[in-house]
Amino acid sequence: MKIFMKFIVPVIILSICNISMAIAETPEEKGLRLAIEGDLTGQGFKDILSKSEMTLRNAQGEESIRTFSSKTLEMENDGDKSIFIFHHPKDVAGTAILTFTHKSGPDDQWLYLPALKRVKRISSDNKSGAFVGSEFAYEDLSSQEVEKYTYKWIEDVPCPGDEQEMCYVSESYPEDKSSGYTKRVSWVDINEHRARKIDYYDRKDKLLKTLILSDYKQYLGKFWNAHSLKMVNHNTNKETDIVISETVYQTGLKDSDFNRQTLKRAR
Amino acid sequence: MHLIVLSFLLTLILPLLSHADLDPDFMEYKAEITLEAWLFPESPLYNGQEHNNYSIAIEPEIYSEWAEGSNLVFRPFIRLDSEDSNRSHIDIREGIYSWYGEDWESSIGIGQVFWGVTESRNLVDVINQFDAVDDPTFRTKLGQPLINATLIRDTGYYEFFILPYFRERTSPGRKGRLRQDPEFSKGTTKFEGGSQWTPELALRWSNSIGNYDVSAHSFLGYARAPSIDVQIVGGQLKYEPNYQRVRQIGGTLQKASGATIYKLEWLAKDGQKDINFRRGGYFATVLGFEHTLYSSIGDNGDLGFLMEYNFDSRHARSTDTMQDDIFVAARLTLNDSKNTEMLFASILDLDGDGQIYQLDFGRRINDSLTFGVQGAIYQNGRLGSNLYILRQDSWLEINFKQYF
Repeated sequence: MKIFMKFIVPVIILSICNISMAIAETPEEKGLRLAIEGDLTGQGFKDILSKSEMTLRNAQGEESIRTFSSKTLEMENDGDKSIFIFHHPKDVAGTAILTFTHKSGPDDQWLYLPALKRVKRISSDNKSGAFVGSEFAYEDLSSQEVEKYTYKWIEDVPCPGDEQEMCYVSESYPEDKSSGYTKRVSWVDINEHRARKIDYYDRKDKLLKTLILSDYKQYLGKFWNAHSLKMVNHNTNKETDIVISETVYQTGLKDSDFNRQTLKRAR
Repeated sequence: MHLIVLSFLLTLILPLLSHADLDPDFMEYKAEITLEAWLFPESPLYNGQEHNNYSIAIEPEIYSEWAEGSNLVFRPFIRLDSEDSNRSHIDIREGIYSWYGEDWESSIGIGQVFWGVTESRNLVDVINQFDAVDDPTFRTKLGQPLINATLIRDTGYYEFFILPYFRERTSPGRKGRLRQDPEFSKGTTKFEGGSQWTPELALRWSNSIGNYDVSAHSFLGYARAPSIDVQIVGGQLKYEPNYQRVRQIGGTLQKASGATIYKLEWLAKDGQKDINFRRGGYFATVLGFEHTLYSSIGDNGDLGFLMEYNFDSRHARSTDTMQDDIFVAARLTLNDSKNTEMLFASILDLDGDGQIYQLDFGRRINDSLTFGVQGAIYQNGRLGSNLYILRQDSWLEINFKQYF
């Protein structure tokens, strides 16, 4: 009985509290909690090198190919740092972009133009702009910081394209007024927090684009990485596929690999 | 020129000394071949000038990298022009060996250095000489022999340069357009207070603080722009380029604020001759902004507005065309799969010394071929001014560039 009083009762009380807390959790709180949990599963990756091929397809089915590689460094108290380097087509080969994402406030971004040897500051407001003529905007590919959005959980449903798994559907609203979106609707699997599909709504709150993420591979027994991203623009019927051909985690990149001097050396 | 080749050879030897393993860990070859028609609709004004130029330019590049932290770039350039023998020329744009660690980089050889932030012109770019005969818009630079050390600290980037050899500015020959009359004499250039081998020094500090980029530099060496020495030789008028040693300080400031970037370049220089051949000090600045309306044209097109004010305290005595001028431009970037870009610019002289209109258009044809159109119109230059000299030389350039 003593044991009952000492352990079981507090456990019962605690679990009742828990249940009531769960009941009291608003869709906004649940959305935020899921976003934080999802973010936590990605934490500790340290750094990533990747190589990608992007296929742009217009409504007539004409294709053009871009290839690029990227380096990303996880920062402890701020957003990630990254360098994108273009390899193909040849007229943009060597062009590189250095981005310092920040948890709050605008990101810092510099563009390196190899023909002029010029490092040029670019306005952080270009986030809504198309990434090298593709259907991806810069903000779709930049580091996703929890703080940059507010959230709302909608429902749990079977995952699109994978009925075996359950997904939570959640809306996120960008804090930054220069974002091209009013909201994003994401389908994320409950088990592993892998985003399966994202709908993007434009400034007029009309469905603009849909992104399908697939071909997930796990790295270091922990981190899930989608190797196929397909973006469809519902306005123009143009599509862009990104296939990530190579991903290497924890290559030992350092803060000193991400500055305007190394940007000039990026190949 | 042989001296440049010599210092380049030095850059080839250095990696031999520092690498037990001579095979680079990464190598890359590429090349660009440009076919260009340079058209002048108005008839030439001066004796010997031809109507239109056709030319081919070849620019290969070899890049090697060693994993321990060094690389070698070799990028020669050759242009063959149908009319102007001065425009047919060879240059080593880059021939430079660099080695680097976590917080430093050092290089030796022939390099290209860009410091500017503004769009109408870059006052602070003093390391390289302009290849004025190759590019009348003053964006293309000659390779500069240099020794450089860069330190990367929390307080910013510290760059030190020794420039052992001065490059003369290229200029059109007798048959070429966009020149004064007569053209510069050959082989009579004066290097006042030294020779082409008198070393030059430059220091620069730069840093990014929040959304500000700031830099300051000082330079001791030859002014990049020549003054004109007028001579009468055998009853004939001759123009000879003269270069003076100058002391210069300058800097840049840039602020990114939403969709607007504010830009400033300035310099204070002492020792250069003005158009009255008087030495003196002066101050010059370019300041302005660029505002972009993202995704405002078509599906994804960006429309940018640029405005910059160019000031030179020498006013009409300035050797520069832009000394009290407003630059207003619109830049359209379609963000399409063909990477279509165009810039329309006008430069208005506030002292009533005419206007310049510029066009720059570029578009990809396929994955290894691009097409470009550039042009300039020179209007209403005041009698005797730089613009007046060019009054018949408005031009249009059409080029195709093949990448290998």
